[in-house]
Amino acid sequence: MTRYIIIRLIQAVVTLIVISMVIFALARASGDPVMLMAPPMATLEDIEVIRQYLGLDKSLPEQYWTFLKSMARGDLGKSIQNRRDVTTLIAQRLPNTVSLSLPAIFLGITVSLILGVTAACRRGTWLDNGVRYLAILGQALPSFWLAIVAISVFAVALGWLPTSGMGGPANYVLPVLTLSFFMLPIFTRLIRSSMLEVLDSEYVKLARIKGLSERVVVWKHALRNAIIPLLTATGITFATIITGAVIIETVFAWPGIGRLMAEAMIRRDFPVIQASVMLVAVVVLMVNLLVDIVYAYVDPRIRY
Amino acid sequence: MSSELAIARAGFGTRVRHIWQTSRRLPLIPIIIMSAVVFVAIFADLITPYPPNEMSLPDRLTPPFFMPEGSTAHILGTDTIGRDILSRMMYGARISLSVSLMVIAIASVIGTFLGMIAGYRGGRVDAVLMRVTDAALAFPALLIALLLAVALGPKFSTVVLALSALSWAPFARMMRGEVLKLRGEDFVAHARVIGCSQARILIKHLFPNVVNTLVVLMTMSVGLVILIEASLSFLGAGIPPPTPSWGSMVADGRNLFDRAWWISLFPSLAIGSVVLSGNFLGDWIRDKMDPRLRQL
Repeated sequence: MTRYIIIRLIQAVVTLIVISMVIFALARASGDPVMLMAPPMATLEDIEVIRQYLGLDKSLPEQYWTFLKSMARGDLGKSIQNRRDVTTLIAQRLPNTVSLSLPAIFLGITVSLILGVTAACRRGTWLDNGVRYLAILGQALPSFWLAIVAISVFAVALGWLPTSGMGGPANYVLPVLTLSFFMLPIFTRLIRSSMLEVLDSEYVKLARIKGLSERVVVWKHALRNAIIPLLTATGITFATIITGAVIIETVFAWPGIGRLMAEAMIRRDFPVIQASVMLVAVVVLMVNLLVDIVYAYVDPRIRY
Repeated sequence: MSSELAIARAGFGTRVRHIWQTSRRLPLIPIIIMSAVVFVAIFADLITPYPPNEMSLPDRLTPPFFMPEGSTAHILGTDTIGRDILSRMMYGARISLSVSLMVIAIASVIGTFLGMIAGYRGGRVDAVLMRVTDAALAFPALLIALLLAVALGPKFSTVVLALSALSWAPFARMMRGEVLKLRGEDFVAHARVIGCSQARILIKHLFPNVVNTLVVLMTMSVGLVILIEASLSFLGAGIPPPTPSWGSMVADGRNLFDRAWWISLFPSLAIGSVVLSGNFLGDWIRDKMDPRLRQL
């Protein structure tokens, strides 16, 4: 087990280094920062001074090393747009994204559990087909459009809820609902197929023979085992939520990191994007590492 | 007597019924939608009623023809600066389709190459390649696309590059699994015994056996790629304006949905129906070619 954890840790570090190299390369490809900083009247000597000041006169490996060191110190650069520390910008926005996505994840998982399990138990009926078509439809409709429709119906036409921004609990309703809808199709499908497999197994048959009520068999014996393979989908969930957050926060003018990224994209504010992507990369890697370790712990066959 | 012969001898009515029964087994609606979109995309220059970027301020915010103030001059209405929605959607089909075709071509070549090598070689090569694939699969697709759009500027090539960088991983995964299953088969061993080179075994012996799966995955990816492209355009990281794209058209109309819903509704419907058709076609081809792939 220790060996497994060590191997996975090394792999995670290597992945992180590769990602940082890609980001570094893109940062260099995104244009010459000297030209952005230099005033229009700058002489060649001035430009050379700025170049030295920014450390751009050094060799590429040296520059990369400096880049790594400042990353490790948590110094992710300054936003081009307002010269503020990117770290502070992200730290300000992060809680808003968390407070939006946690209820959405909770709601999404609950609803897809109910839908997936009911569909699997009534395989082949109209209910199962209905859930399946709903999942297919949910995957095909552009989610940003769904958010727009939700705003125009519930906020503009009916006036029940605020259109955008943050504020009271009412502001949470539409973004949380649409964000949770993001993960519904994938999750319902996964749970349904996992449940179908488990319901076919010997121990479920045994539980039925023992005379347990159908409710206990399904929700206790079967569901507990059906959830284990879903652990590996945690990484996918996370990626879906991040993608969803960028779009949903943009539509609802929600001041989270998703919107920060979308705005930075429009202003071509590279340091902000770079830092956000690096942050997400670290979190994704950590989540996956944790999932792998938990999974290896639960299922001993996985270990090396 | 074979059924073809029976039909050839039978009368016209039977033949029509036979064609009808065969066609009923085809996913007709998805096929019609897809062919219509392909047709429109190819001949957009010839059939659009207006140039896609022609502004006409007096006609701005004209509703679609079935609305009281609508006119048949602009069947699906116009946007805030009087551009014809239908014409823009037709050109948008061209963008969506060409992006997704290019992306799928690039992604499937890279993914198949890496996946087959990983599956065939196994060992350390496999371990490294699959780690990279896992990392690519786990990373939020949209972020890489945003990163590339900022670094390289939003243009056609950036969008294709970004989407390809995201889409090769599922292909690599799938192809590796298929090759892994076939690697131990006798025909591979025989090929090796008679001295085939590794490249020859991969291309001539293994590839024909995995091409079905590849086609299925390619069809199923069309919808996904169109959807991500639309999200990118919606966020402003896609093909830059004024080139019409379905995603950016939805974005254009998003603040006007209560007054001018047609600006964003019709492009959204186009995205939804094309993605749905793509998924259904993929399902159908999968069942036709190999029902064992059900779990895909």
